[in-house]
Amino acid sequence: MKRDVNFILNGRPVTLSVEPRTTLLRALREYGVTSVKRGCEEGECGTCTLVIDDLAQKSCMVLALEVEGKSVLTVEGLVAPNGDLHPLQQAFVEEGAIQCGFCTPGMIMTAYAFLRKNPDPTEAEVREALAGNLCRCTGYIPIFRAVMKAAKTMRELGSHPGAAR
Amino acid sequence: MSMLAFELERPRDLASAVESLGRHGSRAMLKAGGTDVIVWMHKHAVQPEVLVDLSEVPELGGISFYPHRGIKIGAMATVNQVGTHEDARVHYGALVDACLSHSDPLIRNKATVVGNVCAAVPSGDLIPAFSVYEAVMHVYGPGGERDIAFADFITGPRKNSLAPGEIVVSATLPMPSGRSAACYIKLGRRNALDLAQVGVACLAMQGSKGAEYRLAYGAVSPRPVRAAEAEDILAGSESPDEALLDRAAKAAAAAVNPITDVRAGREYRLSMVEELTRRAVSICAERLTGRESR
Repeated sequence: MKRDVNFILNGRPVTLSVEPRTTLLRALREYGVTSVKRGCEEGECGTCTLVIDDLAQKSCMVLALEVEGKSVLTVEGLVAPNGDLHPLQQAFVEEGAIQCGFCTPGMIMTAYAFLRKNPDPTEAEVREALAGNLCRCTGYIPIFRAVMKAAKTMRELGSHPGAAR
Repeated sequence: MSMLAFELERPRDLASAVESLGRHGSRAMLKAGGTDVIVWMHKHAVQPEVLVDLSEVPELGGISFYPHRGIKIGAMATVNQVGTHEDARVHYGALVDACLSHSDPLIRNKATVVGNVCAAVPSGDLIPAFSVYEAVMHVYGPGGERDIAFADFITGPRKNSLAPGEIVVSATLPMPSGRSAACYIKLGRRNALDLAQVGVACLAMQGSKGAEYRLAYGAVSPRPVRAAEAEDILAGSESPDEALLDRAAKAAAAAVNPITDVRAGREYRLSMVEELTRRAVSICAERLTGRESR
């Protein structure tokens, strides 16, 4: 039987009608938020990563009904109202950290939550933080470079521009 | 595969959670973080009609530390919360090592320490740490409160000694006596997102009769196993030499009973139990005699 779940999605309140067995991943994709990718659906690959109340989570491991009253941020929510990309997104483009793109939204959301806690990381810390996100194209090096570059940009800007929260 | 349909209950207090579990009996399963049970439900390996979600029960949250009593870990405390807890980092080295070796940094935001132990999978990373600290499980159920010694808690693969309707509220890991040092070494094929082929937890304590050691193993027996004979061999020795380490390592291998599976063979696991015992004991002995206390 379907039930309503109310939460904040990328800064806006939403109500979705879902079955208890519907994961947040499936509910969001059904709703049209297709940046969360359905990869392994068993918590291994990280392509469905988003941020719930400041913590990066794999959305295939979250039941949609669990986010009642919480704030959910996906990569769509990082884009500024005027369309400007977030420094993390911009750095991924500039550093060639994207090939097929399937892992990219998850990588960016993991990096986003990580940089909020640790704005001036070492590359070793970035590698550790991204250990739960698999990429089969890039060999990771451009991704690490992009995160380090975005961290520097964000420190210079002194804020998280374009973020919904 | 999709999960089969089920009803979700989200009780707001412990009494309602126990009531809910009692009402549905064996048709219900508990969910804490969900990172284990949701995977199993996806595979249709378990098919509960009702899932009782504990994540909104306030009595189950939190981590508290009192030097005379130890660290008390609420059932909903996540692996990352415990792994980064200041007092755990100072006094519970094997617990913190185990937390940080578990899955990956994202899953650790959801998975719970107590859930990992309750799931009772032989390779569960937190299990050897709970063994060496001789944890006490605080349980609440239809018959009220009771404590279960960790040595009696896990009865086999995916089996624990909870009675129907009981919930683990929290677990206390008593403070190691005197100066102590501890570590957990996990052998896997990669650093993240892997199950242990062998896990070894070692705790060394400075007692009145010299050093005292506790050794526990994961992924090499159906139930958690302490290497009592190896512990006796090492007792009293602050800096065990090669010969003593070898004797202890052989005794440890004799205490475990690994299987051959997709992750490793029995012979390899036995050989690694020996090697990792030497390493874990050496690390702890060095830390115990040095200035560092973890």
